[in-house]
Amino acid sequence: MMSKLSALRGNIGWDKGVGILLLVTLIVGSLITPDFATTSNLGFVVQDIGEIMIIALPMAFLIIAGEIDLSVGSALSLVSSTIGYSFAHGISFGFAILIGICVGAATGALNGFLVNYLGLQSLAVTIGTMGLFRGLCFVLLGNTPVNQLPDFWTGLGVNNIPHTFLPWSFVLIAPLVFFAWILLHHTKIGRWTFVTGISAEAARFSGIPVKRFKFLMYVATGVMVSLAAIVYTLRFASASPDSAMGYELTTIAAVLFGGVSIAGGFGTMWGVIFSVIELGAIRSVLQLINFSSNALQMVSGALLLFSVAFPKVIELLKSRREARVKKPSPSLASMRSVE
Amino acid sequence: MKRLLSIREVPIFGVLVLFFGVAALGNHALFSASGLHDLLFTSSIICLLACAETLIIVMKHIDLSISSTIGFSSYIIGKNASNGHGLLYCLILGVIFGLAVGAVNGFLVAYLKLPSLVVTLGTLYLVRGLFNQVARGDFINSDKVPHLLTYMADHTFVKVPYLFLVALAMAIVVGFVMRHLRSGRDLYAIGSNLPAAHLAGIAVEKRTFWAFTAAGGIAGLGGAILLARFGQAQANSGLGIELSVVSACVVGGVAIAGGIGTIYGAMIGALLLQTIVMALGALGVSQFWQGVVNGALLIAAISLDKILSSRSQRTQIMRVSA
Repeated sequence: MMSKLSALRGNIGWDKGVGILLLVTLIVGSLITPDFATTSNLGFVVQDIGEIMIIALPMAFLIIAGEIDLSVGSALSLVSSTIGYSFAHGISFGFAILIGICVGAATGALNGFLVNYLGLQSLAVTIGTMGLFRGLCFVLLGNTPVNQLPDFWTGLGVNNIPHTFLPWSFVLIAPLVFFAWILLHHTKIGRWTFVTGISAEAARFSGIPVKRFKFLMYVATGVMVSLAAIVYTLRFASASPDSAMGYELTTIAAVLFGGVSIAGGFGTMWGVIFSVIELGAIRSVLQLINFSSNALQMVSGALLLFSVAFPKVIELLKSRREARVKKPSPSLASMRSVE
Repeated sequence: MKRLLSIREVPIFGVLVLFFGVAALGNHALFSASGLHDLLFTSSIICLLACAETLIIVMKHIDLSISSTIGFSSYIIGKNASNGHGLLYCLILGVIFGLAVGAVNGFLVAYLKLPSLVVTLGTLYLVRGLFNQVARGDFINSDKVPHLLTYMADHTFVKVPYLFLVALAMAIVVGFVMRHLRSGRDLYAIGSNLPAAHLAGIAVEKRTFWAFTAAGGIAGLGGAILLARFGQAQANSGLGIELSVVSACVVGGVAIAGGIGTIYGAMIGALLLQTIVMALGALGVSQFWQGVVNGALLIAAISLDKILSSRSQRTQIMRVSA
């Protein structure tokens, strides 16, 4: 069984495995409940995973490049709060959205500056900015959400594209997904990302401006987060300081479950995209069979643990088998254990 | 004097005294027995959890799951107490729960060699989800909290709140282990140079596993303090507290890069954070700034640490080359 699984993994790759799992989920889901495979539910799933998908794209780049961003959920909330605050203070909604995008870019620039130019650990920095951005949301809005948003805009968040079952956010998400795939796998930027993740030093010596590159990657993350914030704000027709709680976990879980290595340097965009859709599908099935909403949190947590633990277990089993086959001399064996 | 200044904790303590002084000038009520009491009382939970987090950060790991553990543990203790079980029984349950979560973290980090950030982020949400599932809308209110806990929350020993004494006792125990016992010293070795620790024959996996388990156990015990402090438990108890704890440790000089720092520093860090919050309140700044200050201080602390450590490295190199 184990050998089959690892052979499977060796031959077709983790990302395609996620694709197959997605297919299985779709089939099982439509067998379990008749409401699953309907066009309206499909539209709902697209809407449900929209923001996660948008943030997962730059997060995949960041993690492949060996960094991480835990502040995305708070940054999303900050952009949303900024839009709400600006609008509530008499700025037109379109302009408020522009301000929001600028704030989003600024959050990314702050992270990028601290990580790349001060040389701080991205984990520690983004834990700090996670608190900072969330705090700023409350400074802006206090405890009161802004609910009176213009109908034209919230209509975009709630309604479908006329004559289809797809929500308007699809118009934004589909090109972004396509663009991210091209960028990661078919351009110089993508290759730089992988090289930086495998060895930042080697990347620097081969002429990649690593610091500036990663800085811009963080800024791009900020911009993408603000796009997600717009979708989020319109969808819920509200800008509230406690938006998008836990989105950083769901996003990172999705990216890692999609086969991106937390150590950096490995991963595919397809894996990430399949994984986000898979997450949405599982959530939808669970909701339709009236599983509690708390289960969703647990599913994200469990998926995250599973996606880091499973490859490791296989690796351990493999190396153990190899060790048994080779029967290394005792001195070698002791050296191994030291490693 | 020079030697005194080279201790990492002294400058932080200086900053703490300075801040408290400035805040007390702005509002005289702060600089009184009751002001001090409030400071110690409100920061007792962060101080206790800082003991757990220091064990972990010193090993160059991180544990984000403590906030879910302490929350669930406080609910477990409160729920069992309101079902008529004795306090000791409830406490043991809470601690066992904490140890179990810690052991899961420890196993995944130490033996499967998974990154602690990802693992504890996973268990953070797993435990919180489980907690919400079990607690639903359930609410443990103050008259169901065991009497001893309420007594401890309301009374002081020589003007020091009992809750803070618990944290202090824990700090002394853990601090002793980390300073004088081999198992504690090993944690510093693991954090400052992992391959070297391996080569020196330190049982890295075992130490890592037990450190995470102990951290979980402390968080489990913290559930009782959380219950006593707020006199209630519900599904969002302890939510987001991990950020304050990590901030307190880092501000208190426990280097996020591992291998450096003490429990006492982390406790001073916790007190400093709380002083700033109280000072803001005393100076009439809105409470909404609290999160901003916490986050900004954490970033400032790691930046400062980075700058200082690279400078001290440079002076060391200069000394060697001279």
